[in-house]
Order: sequence, then structure tokens, then C-alpha cells
Amino acid sequence: MSTPPNRNVRTFVVDVFRWNLRGGVGFQLFRLLLLLCMGLGLYAYSLQARFGLSVTGMNDIVSWGFYISNFTFLVGVAAAAVMLILPAYVFHDPNFHRVVIIGEGVAVGALVMCLAFIAVDLGGPLQAWHLIPGIGIFNFPSSILAWDVLVLNGYLLLNGLVPAYILYSHYMGRKADERKYRPFVFLSIFWAFSIHMVTAFLYQGLPARPFWNNPLLGPRFLASAFAAGPALIALILAVIHSCTTYKIDRSVFNKLRLIIVISAIINLLMLFSEIFKEFYFPTHHSSSAIYLFFGMDGHSSLVPWIWTSVSVNLVATLVLAFNPGQNNPKVLLPACAFLFVAIWMEKGIGLIVPGLIPSPLGEVVDYLPTWVELSVTLGILALGVTVVSWLIRAALIIEQRYGG
Amino acid sequence: MKTAMRGVVGWLGGGGLLLLALLVVEVGPGVAGDSSFLDTVKAVDAPYDNRAVRQVQPTVQPTVLAREEYQGGSFLVLARKQAIERFRCSSCHTDKEVRVKDAFALTHGNVVIDHGREGSALACIDCHHPRDRDFLEDKKGSKIDYDHSYQLCGQCHFRQKRDWLGGAHGKRATYWAGERVVYNCTTCHNPHAPRFAKRFPATYAVPLN
Amino acid sequence: MNLPYDDQEKQQEHHESVAAPGEKKCSRRAFLKNLSIGAAAASAALVTGCVPGADAATNEELRLRWQEFFKKNYQLMTEEEKAGTVTRLERLAALRDGLELQIGSEPPLPRVLYGYAFNITRCEGFMECVTACVKENNLDRKTNTQYIRIFEMEPGQLDPSTGDGQYFHEVPVDNKFYMGTQCFHCENPPCTKACPTRATWKEPDGIVVVDYDWCIGCRYCQAACPYYGRRFNWGRAEIPKEEITTRQHYLGNRLRPVGKMEKCTFCIQRTRKGKLPACVEACPTGSRVFGNLFDPNSEIRYVLKHKKVFRMKEELGTEPKFWYFID
Repeated sequence: MSTPPNRNVRTFVVDVFRWNLRGGVGFQLFRLLLLLCMGLGLYAYSLQARFGLSVTGMNDIVSWGFYISNFTFLVGVAAAAVMLILPAYVFHDPNFHRVVIIGEGVAVGALVMCLAFIAVDLGGPLQAWHLIPGIGIFNFPSSILAWDVLVLNGYLLLNGLVPAYILYSHYMGRKADERKYRPFVFLSIFWAFSIHMVTAFLYQGLPARPFWNNPLLGPRFLASAFAAGPALIALILAVIHSCTTYKIDRSVFNKLRLIIVISAIINLLMLFSEIFKEFYFPTHHSSSAIYLFFGMDGHSSLVPWIWTSVSVNLVATLVLAFNPGQNNPKVLLPACAFLFVAIWMEKGIGLIVPGLIPSPLGEVVDYLPTWVELSVTLGILALGVTVVSWLIRAALIIEQRYGG
Repeated sequence: MKTAMRGVVGWLGGGGLLLLALLVVEVGPGVAGDSSFLDTVKAVDAPYDNRAVRQVQPTVQPTVLAREEYQGGSFLVLARKQAIERFRCSSCHTDKEVRVKDAFALTHGNVVIDHGREGSALACIDCHHPRDRDFLEDKKGSKIDYDHSYQLCGQCHFRQKRDWLGGAHGKRATYWAGERVVYNCTTCHNPHAPRFAKRFPATYAVPLN
Repeated sequence: MNLPYDDQEKQQEHHESVAAPGEKKCSRRAFLKNLSIGAAAASAALVTGCVPGADAATNEELRLRWQEFFKKNYQLMTEEEKAGTVTRLERLAALRDGLELQIGSEPPLPRVLYGYAFNITRCEGFMECVTACVKENNLDRKTNTQYIRIFEMEPGQLDPSTGDGQYFHEVPVDNKFYMGTQCFHCENPPCTKACPTRATWKEPDGIVVVDYDWCIGCRYCQAACPYYGRRFNWGRAEIPKEEITTRQHYLGNRLRPVGKMEKCTFCIQRTRKGKLPACVEACPTGSRVFGNLFDPNSEIRYVLKHKKVFRMKEELGTEPKFWYFID
């Protein structure tokens, strides 16, 4: 650690790019794969831009599909960064301090994906400027979607700026001034809860959709997010641990497991509470749940989907809770992966699509995403992975070379 | 550690309160069951000048002034006589008996009477005036003009007539504003067979997938 | 206006050949070349799909389309600006499709609040209202967009979800009744509350309208509507040119761009001139009653006063201005 020779903002940016363009063959292939996926997504989106959303599987009854499902789930992943921020900055856990930057990188990536999913779900790309406060008209405070746009962008800003400041300070060979960023860290903790609550309110506030119009939705969003998000972060930490020289302390994984287990159990409890309410005395308002779990009028495309999700979720939670391999990563990491996928299935498609089926007039249709939707989604996921890997790579290099 | 926790709780609490306040401000009126906008509607009892809507054109179809009053005074009904193929009837039905061979089949053979219940179906003479064929006749024996058949129909269908006068049965012609012009009974109903015939709908709704 | 479907399929094939080059085991350079060609094709498609003037034929069209792109929300326009956009839209329709349109921007009439009543005893399910609505409002013929739904109902039940909304047989069927739904123009509409850009709102005369050019197509209003009253332009609408209704209103039946929300407007282009909505005019059974709620002598007020009426999902507090009644 010596005084930095000619380092400034420009070299910071240039260095970040330089580090990310270099790398081994495997890394380059990984990049190329992501680029290919993004190209495919862009191509599929160009078709959607030309022909309208008719190239998707959505229709007037299922008016939100795969895009909004992924958006909803990824807001949770973004919010879950708070589960690293809280121990790191509030409880000053030194091991978490080393990984918090990774959590924030994941949050930024997830938010980029969220905003991209919203953007591709719009009727066309160009009128989006009507949403920008000041230039367009913002239906604030009555529209929850307006709130969501605000909180998502705010969270993106917070989660981008705080790590950027810390990394830049380290890059410049300084110690980051905690007094400067601490208020923003606290703000981001509050904000993390709010992005997910607001996203839940987006659905929860609709009297037209009894499946969503349910006060448990917000808390359940948080619980499932704090299970799925840390599960993903644990997986990413494991990859970093095995592929780079940046080693992660075992205790981090143990604590993450605890967070995941508690959240997953709370999530399952709430899920069972909902299922009980829907099926003990089914009313008109239970028809979406009936469609989801048992099918209706000969339409049952989501039945295998949701039962797979619930059973995988249950098994993965049990494995994580009882820890049969005594902290054996070969048991816990797959469990994390399965839990993540199970929650994605349930909270994405499993939540959004049945909320719209049957239609308010009782008509039942099935929804299947088309190849365009799948390709655009793949492209956006690749974009997210790219963002996350760029940020983490830059962060790790700075931390290892300059941060110490 | 404790101060840190307090900080978190403070942020969360403060933010939550702010959120709640904004939402409550937004909710305000319009809570179900409280008071309805219908109270406002019902409170409006000053007459509305329908002639204020200036784009209203006179009805294209011939009309006559109704011999009834209801719902804001006089109104017009669509005339009937022009639609009757062989009006005026008195050009054939004079004082003398019609002696042409097959006269009924040739002139009124298309008329199928399906009016009234089975077993007590109506006959021509139940509505048509027995002597002056240019008119109908009600049960009291007074002449009823073809343009004002509602006076006759309303004898039995008094509920429908009441609804028609008020506007719950039948319909207005073209305009909701301007002078009130309503369809006559016979504009929609064939007086000889007033029930609408069964038929296929004009279109259908497509399944969405 | 036709969707070039063949073209799309061709592109799909083309795209597959771009997306799966690895199988041919080509060199990295050739591969990158392919990739860049693919990216260029995609971005070209993107540009024609997105940028307002990208496929404009003339300079005038280009200018008009950019002016249209940067215009304000209809609620914020002055009278001159409204007249301006209406003239531009008419001119654009003439330039592009050779259509002679008369687009109006009539303001709401003073002391008028529209209300609608539907007689479930009288309706016999002929669906003349639906065809009249499709014609009047220039609804997409390709996907068969319909604002009005008619449900064939079993006796003993009043919820349309128990009825059949897709019947096609001789009507009326004995011992069944028919129930129509459409946008109910709620006094407390959940859809306008949801819209993030104020592109949909309730006019002073009670009609819930959409500014098609301000709508961003997020479809939150569609999710918020408890009556399935809104329709989305998933693709470009197709209407035979000779069937286009040329008397239009900015907030009403003018041709909607792709990716925008649309809905029943009580035929705003007709009702603001004193006419009945097309569905009311077409109804052969007189089941549809329309009028001014602020006129104590109107038919709609008579129905509310003298008939037993009910509204759909009244418990939601949306206050629909659409009542069902029984003779």
C-alpha cells in the first residue's frame, strides 16, 4: 500500500474494463456464451418491437407472463443483499465485511435485470420516457407501479454508489470514510425492505385479483426473498471460493445457511397458511388457487409446475435445516440451488400467472411463453450475469490488490 | 451494536410511517359502503335542458307526437302507417263486402297470427276495428290510430306500457339528448307474432387460446 | 397493414442459422463475422420497430411523426394543441393509408354524467351490439377484439363466471338468460388509480378514457380491472379499409397504435354529440338503456328509481355506472 501513481476516476474506469476484458480461455468462453445469449435476446426483442407483444404467449386474460414473473422474483434477489449488509455494516461481522461487496454486486445485477424485464414488458420501448419524473407524468402517489419505479431506481443507485465509493477509495489507496457512507448503508437497509414490500403491494393492492389481494403477500415476498437471495449468494460465493484466490470463510456459509433455513421455514409456514385459507372452505376467491394446484375446466398446465416447486422447496428446506452432511458443501450447495429454483418457480410463474386465471369473468385459459419470451428472458439473464461478473471481478481485484 | 439496532429500527419505523401516511392520504373517500355517488346523482333534481346538446338532428324516420305524457312532458314516437304495406285499408275495405275470389289469401296470406297464449290466440277482429279498417279498436270500442298502437297494446301489456313510457322498455331513436323520440311497439314487435324469432347470434366470441 | 408473417418466419430461420454456428465448427473470425451480421440485422429490425420516423416515406411524414412523438398528455394540452394533434393525425392517416378521417376532440358536455342500464330479462343474446361495437370502434378484426361480452346464464345464478361466454347456437335458449358486460365506467375506477403515467382517467362526464399516445403499455390497468373491461393491442390492428369508421374522436375510436391499451368509451365520438352508443342503437330487444344521470327525467334515472337494479361486484366499491335490471 503506497501512494497511487496517477490514479484517478478515468484510470479507475479504464482499469475495470481492462480487468474484465482479460482472463483465461474458460473465462473468455463464458463471456462469449453470455454475449451470444444477449445477442439472441436482442434479436428476439427486435421481433417483439416490430410485431408487438403478439409474438409472446400473453393475451387479454393472461396479460402478464414470463417477464413480470421474473421481474417479481428478481426484486427479491435484489432485496436479499440486505442479508449481507445487515451483519456486515450493522453488526460489524468481519467475515461478512469481506463478502458484502459481492452481495451488493448481485443486487445491482438483479436490479438491472428487473428494470430490463419491465422495459421489455412495455407495449413498446419508446414511450418509456413518459415514466421519467419531471419529463413525463408520474401518477404519484396513487400508482404503486410509479412507487416501484422510484424505489427500484433508488435502490439501484444506493447499491451502485456505496460499493463504488468504497472500491474507489481502496483503489486510490485510501480507507473509505465510514461516516460518509454509513447513512446510505442504513438507508439501503430500509430501502431493501421497501422495494420488496412495494413490489408486493403492486399485486396486493388489486381488489380485482383475490389471489393477490392478500395481506400476507408482502411478508411472504420478504421471507421467500431472504431464502432465495442468500441461497444464490451462497452459490456465487462458492464459485468465487473455488475459482479465484479470494477465499471465503466457512463461517459465512454457516451463517447464510441459518438465514436461509429460517426464511425458508417462515416462507413455508405462510404458504401453508395460504393453502389452508384457500382450500378449507373454497370460495369464489379460491378459484385461482384451485386452478394452480388442481387445474380447472380441463386446463391444468401449472399443476405439475407448482407441485414440483412445493415438493422441491420442502425437501431442500429440510436438507438445509437438518444438515445431513454435517456442513458438507456437496450436500448444502445443491440444496441451495434446488431451493432457489423452487422459489423461482413458485414466486414467478406460480404467483403471477394464476393471479390472472381465471379472468374476472371466470374464463380459464392456459399460458405458455413463446420462444421469443424465452429468448428475451435468456438475454436479460445473461445481461444480469454479465453485470454481476464484471462488478465482482473488478471488486475482487481491487480488494486483493489495493484493499488488503 | 445497540445504537446500530436502534438506527435500523428508527429508519424502518420512520420510513414505514411515511409510506403509510402517503397511502392513507391517497385512499380518502371512495371506501366501499360508506357513501355512494348515487346520493349526488339523486340530489340533482333540476330539469336538464336536453336541447342544450346542439348537434342533435331531427330524426330521419317519420314521427308523431305521442298521445301520452310521462317523464318530462310530451315526446315523439316513430310512426307506423308508412310501414304498413297496404295502408290505407279503406281503399279495399269499403262499406261493401269484398267479393274477390281468394282475396284473403292474396292480400293477407302472409299474416301468421301467433299472438296470445295457446288455446286463446287472438283473432284479427280482437284488435282491428270491425268496420273502419283504417283504425284499430280497443276493448272499450274507441278507435285507435295505427301510429298510436301503444294505446291498444297497453290494454293487456300494461306493465310493458308503463315501462315503455318511463324508458325501461323499448328504446330511444339514435339520440339520448334532444327531444325524446322513442320506438313504437310495432317498430320492434310484429303485432301478429310479437315474440322475437329464434336465430343465430350475429357473431361469437373467440376463445383466447 | 398486414403482418408480414412469411417474412417473420424467414427471419426466424435466418436467426437460427446465426444462433447455432458452433455446430459448423467455423473459425473464430468467421464466427465473429456471423455474430456481427446477426447483431446488425437485429438492430436494424429494432430501429424499424421503435424509432417513430424510421420508415417514413416523406419528409412531411417524418416531421409529423416526430411532432406526434413529443406531444403532451391530452389532459395537459391547450385547445390549440388538441386541434394541432388532431390535424396531424388526420394528415398522417391520409399520407400513410389514404384515409380521409374526421377526428374530433369534443369536450365533455356540461351537467352530464353518463349512466347505462342492462335489462337481463329482455336480452336474448343476438349479439347485434357486439358487431355494432366492433364496426363503430374500429376493433381489430384479425384477433377478433370485442369490448362487449354476452354470457348465456343458467337460471339461479348471477355470476357471469358460471355462464357461457362463447356460445354459438340459436338463441334465446329456453330457460336461460343473457347478461352483457363491458367497461362499466366506474366512478371509483381501480384502473386509473393503477396507471403509472396518468394515461387513463375519468372524464368529467364519467367516461373512463385512455390517451392512446401517452399509454406505455404496461397493462397494470388491465390487471387492476375487476370486470375484464380493457383490451390490449398485442399486434397491429387489421381493419379492411372500406370498413373503417371515419368519424372519430381522439379519446375514442381512432385507430390505436400497437402496444396500447384500449377500451369501451361509451362511444365518446357519438355520445358527446348527443347520440346513443352504437350498442344501444343496435340492440334489437331494447335491453340497453343509456342516458344522463344528471337529468331527473332521463330513462336511466327512471330505471334506477323504479326498477330493482344491481351492479356487478358491488362489494369492491368501484361504483360502476352500469346497472343490471329486471323487468
